[in-house]
Amino acid sequence: MASPLRVLVTGAAGQIGYSLVLQIAKGDVFGKETPIVLVLLDIPPMAAVLEGVQFELTDCALANLTGVEAVTNEKDAFTNIDYAFLVGAMPRKEGMERKDLLAANVRIFKSQGAALAEFAKPTTKVIVVGNPANTNAFICAKYAAGKIPARNFSAMTRLDHNRASAQVAIKSGVTVGNVKNVIIWGNHSSTQFPDVSHAKVNKNGSEVDAVSAVGDSAWLQSGFISVRGVTVQKRGAVIIERRKLSSAMSAAKAACDHIHDWYKGTPAGSFVSMAVPSDGSYGIPEGLIFSFPVTISNGEWKIVQGLELNDFAKEKIAVTTKELLEERDEALAACGESKQ
Amino acid sequence: MSTALRVLITGAAGQIGYSLVLQIAKGDVFGRDTPIELVLFDIPLMTNALESIQMELIDCALSNLIGVEAVTSEKEAFTNVDFAFLAGSMPRKEGMERNDLLAANVRIFKSQGKDLAEFAKPTTKVLVVSNPANTNAFICAKYAARKIPARNFSALTRLDHNRAVAQIALKAGVTADKVKNVIVWGNHSNTQFPDASHATVTKNGVEHKAPFAVGDSNWIENEFITTVRDRGGVIIEKRKACSAFSAAKAACDHMYDWITGTPLGSFISMSVPSDGSYGVPEGKIEKGMSWTSFSGLVFSFPGLVFSFPVTISDGEWTIVKGLELNEFAKEKIALTIEELLNERDEALGACEE
Repeated sequence: MASPLRVLVTGAAGQIGYSLVLQIAKGDVFGKETPIVLVLLDIPPMAAVLEGVQFELTDCALANLTGVEAVTNEKDAFTNIDYAFLVGAMPRKEGMERKDLLAANVRIFKSQGAALAEFAKPTTKVIVVGNPANTNAFICAKYAAGKIPARNFSAMTRLDHNRASAQVAIKSGVTVGNVKNVIIWGNHSSTQFPDVSHAKVNKNGSEVDAVSAVGDSAWLQSGFISVRGVTVQKRGAVIIERRKLSSAMSAAKAACDHIHDWYKGTPAGSFVSMAVPSDGSYGIPEGLIFSFPVTISNGEWKIVQGLELNDFAKEKIAVTTKELLEERDEALAACGESKQ
Repeated sequence: MSTALRVLITGAAGQIGYSLVLQIAKGDVFGRDTPIELVLFDIPLMTNALESIQMELIDCALSNLIGVEAVTSEKEAFTNVDFAFLAGSMPRKEGMERNDLLAANVRIFKSQGKDLAEFAKPTTKVLVVSNPANTNAFICAKYAARKIPARNFSALTRLDHNRAVAQIALKAGVTADKVKNVIVWGNHSNTQFPDASHATVTKNGVEHKAPFAVGDSNWIENEFITTVRDRGGVIIEKRKACSAFSAAKAACDHMYDWITGTPLGSFISMSVPSDGSYGVPEGKIEKGMSWTSFSGLVFSFPGLVFSFPVTISDGEWTIVKGLELNEFAKEKIALTIEELLNERDEALGACEE
């Protein structure tokens, strides 16, 4: 058997963690034959809960799960890991302003960036799920710089991407496997821009533009994405309202898809959405963690170049870029750094 | 693509349901290329939660999940289903005695048995997860008997089985796939009997009997049994919640093996209606019916739903016969039979039979 992959999940005692650890453990991300050591991190008050999760994983009697470690300190968590799913974050508490939430979270991700630099590998790949995901990933990458390249850091917009694909499928009357190349641009927030102008739908055996397949451009420009709409952007809020809990299952599934595709690559002709450090493509300031369309091969993502952006798209992209710049500056200030 | 399977989960808005629906939807049970229509059933009070789970499943963007229905009526739930995972039940409320809980639950399963007979298919396969699982399955099978053969009904002891496998693997220093032929006998309760005496452990390419590989017969007869038996309680204590994803995983393993079959030389534990094997009481036949074949019989009530070692092929389970039982094992088995007989009689009484 190959050497086991050492995979860390932070916030492992939480809701998303509970849905995530089993999917990773049973081979959905790295394959059923790939041996894994799962490392579960959470804060010390959650130690007993974490142990319960560890026991449950053992009780799944999984052939490829060669070890499960339940830890509550950063050194034990980050040492020699190959992959990190950073789900743990400070939740919003009553009365907390957005900027307080941001400040509390960047402190966590600054510390974890430093821990990655100190204990992990130069090849460690990171997905940040905990919100504000893009900015948390930005800060994490900054404090791991020098050991781990920025391109190994990403934030999750795959849930928004999956939601968008599903909506296009429903509207086009096909199953979701017949939809590809939807794009989520920007921040994992209400300024995200779900874009189907480059997407394709396989309908009745032939591939057509998603825009034609959906046949409703008004919906694409409003119901699909609008601030007041109930589809892609607001989906999370609708689910919280009904379940009284966040969308743990679908978020965990998306995190698995994100890392699976990063690990295995994307099929020819397909691209997926990942929030990654910008290289200046599409006018996005370099270094900003921004959701782009990417292809992946040999474990490396590449931003899809040369996609046409109409005025509507450019406007949406400008709004989300502005928000990310503001978050970045606030985050740097909270870390005691000057503006870039 | 093959014809879609219609798969029902009851209690879909609950803890186990939340983990179970995703595993089924992802293709873990029926295969990634098998199209599935998932039917999520719960009580009307849970409508919002059900709808949000339906939305989440859609948001998972799964290519083989061709439909998700969120329903609160039994007719919509049970119509034409191919497989049913019955995870919904009455939870224990404060002041409730064990027999109140049993009575409340068997009434649910009486009703669902009748619904299965009325709306489902003669080929529908059923796994009862909610407790008391064995007795719930027994009652469900009884009331579905006019349409669905008793052998299509089962209860979940695969979680206990997986826990037992994991404990032996840990003790022997191997991965779980190197342990086979562990048995959990009896009721999914404190009287269950985890039995390693017929199990084997493959270590460094060599297959040994588990008791030898573990090298500690005292452990096998004591700590092993209590650890497996008490595991559920330990997890509740630590998580402050029941074992959801490991139970869901076990339900998937149970159904997957039922469909796919067991490898040669391997057997697994399933709670199924007894045919009299190992002295476990079988069913009572209707007066005037003749014995033609086990699967074609209509019982007054079926055999005790008891966890046995089984092999499976072509979608049918067969109890492994002729395993040696020492005095210790016979004693344990007698205790769990006794408990199941008491539950059966209480259940029949509660169903006014």
